[in-house]
Amino acid sequence: MNDNIIDLARKRTVLMDGAMGTELMSRSLPQDACPEVWNIEKPEIVQEVHLSYYKAGSDVVTTNSFGGNRLKLAAHGLESRAYELNCAAAALARAVKPAGKFVAGSIGPTGKLLKPQGDYTEEQFEAVFSEQAQALTDGGVDFLLIETMYDLREAMAALHGARRISPLPVFVTLTFNRTPRGYFTFMGNSVAQCVLELEKADVAAYGANCMIDSRDMVGLVRAFREKSYRPIIAQANAGKPEVCEDGSVKYSQGIDDYVRFIPDLVKAGANFVGGCCGTNPAYIQKAAAALISMK
Amino acid sequence: MAKEDLWREAREAIIGGDEDKARQTARRAVELEIDLNEMIERGYVPGIQKAGELWEAGDYFLPELIASAESMKAAMAVLRPGMSGSNIKARSLGGVVIGTVEGDIHDIGKNLVAALLQANGFEVFDLGADVKLEKFIEKAEAEKAGIICLSALLTTTMLNQKRFIELLTVRRLREKYKVMVGGAPANQKWADDIGADGYAPNAALAVQKAKRLAAT
Repeated sequence: MNDNIIDLARKRTVLMDGAMGTELMSRSLPQDACPEVWNIEKPEIVQEVHLSYYKAGSDVVTTNSFGGNRLKLAAHGLESRAYELNCAAAALARAVKPAGKFVAGSIGPTGKLLKPQGDYTEEQFEAVFSEQAQALTDGGVDFLLIETMYDLREAMAALHGARRISPLPVFVTLTFNRTPRGYFTFMGNSVAQCVLELEKADVAAYGANCMIDSRDMVGLVRAFREKSYRPIIAQANAGKPEVCEDGSVKYSQGIDDYVRFIPDLVKAGANFVGGCCGTNPAYIQKAAAALISMK
Repeated sequence: MAKEDLWREAREAIIGGDEDKARQTARRAVELEIDLNEMIERGYVPGIQKAGELWEAGDYFLPELIASAESMKAAMAVLRPGMSGSNIKARSLGGVVIGTVEGDIHDIGKNLVAALLQANGFEVFDLGADVKLEKFIEKAEAEKAGIICLSALLTTTMLNQKRFIELLTVRRLREKYKVMVGGAPANQKWADDIGADGYAPNAALAVQKAKRLAAT
């Protein structure tokens, strides 16, 4: 019943939102706190962040559920509240969603490694992601976004877990480093390898987010576009984080430099653009203006 | 088999991330009664250093790095009992307490540094990840270590490196220990700002730095 996001992406560039964690921290979320807890304790603040992105021009906001899988929540002793926190993340975003706009359910990595490097199996990961996907779907998101995946195997486990219980579209973005030999995930997955797997699984839209700035993201989008006819998603970081003497964190890519590459991302083949770490509503607002001036 | 051939096999075992071969070569070295310190220095250490170089060049990724580090651990586990207590003490450049700071679970880089420090003659006490700051001090005091190494991968947990130095100062222990910091978001400026004694961008340079600090 939601208007199809893929149809929209075929008509024009879709604008996603920017970072959530830093926006919550600027509203006094303690640095070692679990951001998802605010979906229950301070939902109005989370909604404030969503609204600021919609107002800045985002077509899509992503739910405050990035670390909402039970393996990550366990670090805060909150694993038994996984369903509750994710459902709330979805419901509060849906409650402030303007007509014609979308809410994406964010599913981030567990932070654990699969065997043989780590202790977990794909089945265990699938179950964990299934739980999260169920809650986000029940809470009313329009589609699911598996993101910041640095391990293709984990991304596929999340995909399978989500599809097991949710009828919603599921998109996937992975995180790549730029190396002398090209773009690779931390686990060594190449763009070609990722596209192959995602195509085999018939994922309707995919791409990359995090780790690299918007300049380096252009090359990555090109690499995806060379291998794929699908809608490509690209959400770059505003450079690298630097900790200042007073403990505050500054990102190295300034807003103008970041936005400068938005048209290049689109020309390189991105259908969805947005922002990741270090971005905020101001970045999105300028990105929206850049997209309009391209028409 | 000449010892040089065994060194080469040891190096290859680490570069190849072959735990079985790492253990086998270590056992062979013990059987042949060759100098085990030399076996480490000329065989395994060049192997793990090569793995580190390949990682930095973007040729090795996490699976390869982990496999190399695990192979290193496997070899050292075989060799250490074969090395007499006095042998270890005489070589020891002193104790190093190392860990990833509290709130942070990332440890692969830290494990690499720990492995290389141990292989280079330090007595290493690896506290693991998510280590409370007081634990670093407790362990260093208990083992009379000279150097404390703190790893952090997140800008949020990195602040614990700063807090740790403040904690040492408050406990009036700052002069007693050399503090090194590392991890992806760290850099020399950060280390200087917080008053750390050392920083290194990779494991090989961390060992060099630790050796220089141990000598002062």
